[in-house]
Amino acid sequence: MSLDNKPVYSGGCQCGAVRFRIEGALGTASVCHCRMCQKASGNFYAALVSVRDARLAWTRGAPRRFRSSSHAWRGFCEACGTPLTFEAPEGLALAIGAFDDPSVVPPTIQWGIEAKLPYVDSVPALPGEETLSDQEAASYLADLVSYQHPDHDTEAWPPEGHRP
Amino acid sequence: MTNAYTGGCQCGAVRFRAGAFGRAAICHCRMCQKAFGSFFGPYVTALDFEWTRGAPKYFHSSNAGRRGFCADCGTQLTFEAGGGVELAIGALDDPGWAPPVIEVNPRDKVSFFAALCRLPPRPAAEQPQTDARLARVVSRQHPDRDTDAWPPEAGRS
Repeated sequence: MSLDNKPVYSGGCQCGAVRFRIEGALGTASVCHCRMCQKASGNFYAALVSVRDARLAWTRGAPRRFRSSSHAWRGFCEACGTPLTFEAPEGLALAIGAFDDPSVVPPTIQWGIEAKLPYVDSVPALPGEETLSDQEAASYLADLVSYQHPDHDTEAWPPEGHRP
Repeated sequence: MTNAYTGGCQCGAVRFRAGAFGRAAICHCRMCQKAFGSFFGPYVTALDFEWTRGAPKYFHSSNAGRRGFCADCGTQLTFEAGGGVELAIGALDDPGWAPPVIEVNPRDKVSFFAALCRLPPRPAAEQPQTDARLARVVSRQHPDRDTDAWPPEAGRS
């Protein structure tokens, strides 16, 4: 919350070159199954939240944009590729997974269900596997050094010597 | 390679082909979430793999691996570690080729994940208006098949 009691959200791309901050109430959060959202993000659907009347500021860097149709632009980080925005005349939406805490932005509606992949609804019923349950993967994780930006704002990024 | 699995980025600058697939999975880890700007990363292991147009740009997301994406449109394409290539399933020309069989790293799963598939669709009353609007949209996305040249000379600005 900000001093005047508005909700505040932050987020950014995986590498940290682009960061954003939002003040105010967000609009509708959704998942969109259309083929353009699938291919843009390399995923089964795009998870987007409308910024609507909230105030969005790019606090570090800015997205690069691809004009995906006559109607819209899609913003992404040109240094790591993270999808960040969907921008159309009716407004701008942000990729929910790019928020530092995506759990506070639960979608409430599904768009484009005519293009929904046939297996998507059964994914939550798939068996789960913790990486640490696998001996080989566990030792892999023990040596792992993440170069992902942390899930909070930073004064400077990356730290010196942090990345190859 | 005939009967290969093809795919690429949204704008078509980068295209790939795989002769066969290994296991398909979705990964809930926070690194996949942030890389995809989504709730999970969907990957299928690619075998007999080659880039057929252009090449991805890479971000080394950790000391163990790098993620390939299109520098022109941002589409996530690969996770590469230890000599192996994992393909982003949504970038396949038909993501139906690679139904996931397992969820990995469920510890980072967002709490509302299972409920997503039960969310309501767009109200039927709004559909005609939506269809009319979509009918006026001219897609600039690469088609879901290989092309000899892209973009087409006309119609691209």
